[in-house]
Amino acid sequence: MTDVRTPTPEAAVTSSEPNRSRWIVLAVVLAFVALLPFARWLESYNYVLQVGTIILMWVAMASSWNILGGYTGYTSLGHNVFFGIGAYVGGMLLVEAGISPFITAPLAGLVAMITGAIVGLITFRAKGPAFIISTIALLLVIFLLLDNWEYVGGANGLSLPLAPFELSWVKVPFYYGMLVSAVLAVLLGYRVAHSKMGLALRAIAADEVKAEVAGIDTRRFKLMAYALSAFFPGVVGAIWGYSLTYVRPTAFFAISVAAQFVLMSIIGGRGTVAGPVIGAAFIIMLNELSVTYLGGSEINLAFTGLIMVLALLFFPLGLVGTLRATNKLPGWLDWD
Amino acid sequence: MALLELDQVTKRYGGIIAVNEATFSVEKGSITSLIGPNGAGKTTAFDTISGVIEVDGGKIRYAGKDITNLRPWAVTKLGIGRTFQVTRELGDMTVLENLAVAGVPNSFSSLLGGRIQKDEYDKAMEVLTFLGIEKLANELSKRLSYGQRKLLELAAVLMIEPDMILLDEPAGGVNPALLDRILDRIQAINDTGITFLIVEHNMDVVMRLSHSIVVMAHGQVLIQNTPEVVRNDERVLDAYLGEA
Repeated sequence: MTDVRTPTPEAAVTSSEPNRSRWIVLAVVLAFVALLPFARWLESYNYVLQVGTIILMWVAMASSWNILGGYTGYTSLGHNVFFGIGAYVGGMLLVEAGISPFITAPLAGLVAMITGAIVGLITFRAKGPAFIISTIALLLVIFLLLDNWEYVGGANGLSLPLAPFELSWVKVPFYYGMLVSAVLAVLLGYRVAHSKMGLALRAIAADEVKAEVAGIDTRRFKLMAYALSAFFPGVVGAIWGYSLTYVRPTAFFAISVAAQFVLMSIIGGRGTVAGPVIGAAFIIMLNELSVTYLGGSEINLAFTGLIMVLALLFFPLGLVGTLRATNKLPGWLDWD
Repeated sequence: MALLELDQVTKRYGGIIAVNEATFSVEKGSITSLIGPNGAGKTTAFDTISGVIEVDGGKIRYAGKDITNLRPWAVTKLGIGRTFQVTRELGDMTVLENLAVAGVPNSFSSLLGGRIQKDEYDKAMEVLTFLGIEKLANELSKRLSYGQRKLLELAAVLMIEPDMILLDEPAGGVNPALLDRILDRIQAINDTGITFLIVEHNMDVVMRLSHSIVVMAHGQVLIQNTPEVVRNDERVLDAYLGEA
């Protein structure tokens, strides 16, 4: 993670104080996003809302991943495990108890969070590439477990009832569910980055031995980072499963889904608050554009890959990270 | 009164015994130097005291308390700070942020409040001023010279308000002008009652600072005594120059 800012001592003390112009721009953007479901005159209203829902979901997930993979420097290639766990918790509570995932989503997040802490106890025995492999192993283990667990539907998964909303605005509650999750996930990322915990996590990312010797209980902070980073994937997993009306291992535990967490953060700017937001929006929109203009063929995948390679070639620290390193980051995007 | 005691401490790496039943002590308020030729086990002894590596045998006591194989953060919280032979500053952080790391509570309460509190800022500036590097407060630590990084490491240690400081080669790679300042500051810190254990190759520095010297060779402690006695001990000369 790179942070090349050199704040004045006063700024270092008061760095969490809001910058007025920054907040005005962000408030306008947020208002636009919040009011989007009211733009029913749009020709492709449902499509726009669906893409918006997906972007917001990934903003929540990439921002969460960034706490572990960005600030702490531990790359997880199995974070969709928590996405899937959230979907199963929300789905099972809907099927068995009839409780809406909109209500149980925080509980799904909590289960994901506890799972994250337990998993961390095991996987943090490894570092570097071994840690990455251990997270992939976790993904495979959970996939196999749920794929063979008949109580939760096995390979067929769970079929969920349709949400009891008027068909013409059925997507709106999901959109707002994702919006609330995304905003809270970004706020959590912001809080972590601007707190002493963020300082500890950055120290761990830079030099774990040095961080320990400075008095930081690195094991505890890594577990806290893992648990926090698992919460919102669990929350949005519950909402997304409800939106799909099914929860299947293949839909949630694919390695391609795991890669999205990493790609979005890296393209946007790993270890920055704004990076995962920009990365999520960039990649989802890029995917949509390539599918629209190149069709759902392999050409669109090649095109998406090429753009990502070029993005990293010219923005090696991600879009936000590189712009900041070159002092070209607009103030309204500097959330660190 | 001994503040730190190593009792028969042993550390093995496979078939190599890096520290072999080392026994020595550091008096409270003293500056004790740990010397010996390369490969004597000095830094390994440091690592065992600070918890960076676990010992295979023996006991380490600090202020009468058994601290053998405590984790580094726990050793630090007891009041033992350390620096490294090759500086390990947190490069992408500013000097101030490097110092503020010392004030992080090990709990979820670390999510509350800002990165650097006002009182921490004041304390950090006081420490930096004491060491003469206050103008570097906002500089990224990776942009500092090597000597300035040595001072930054010492500053970071002072932020934990230690009772004992382990310095690994404070004079190594430092220009003479800066070295004088470092030695002067070590003396001034020691005058406030803080105990030092120093690994150092520069014999002028060792003789100038030390109240007591521990000599190690091949992982074993050869002698612990005053500089005057150590200077004339035949075993020490043999260890450095080889037996005749």
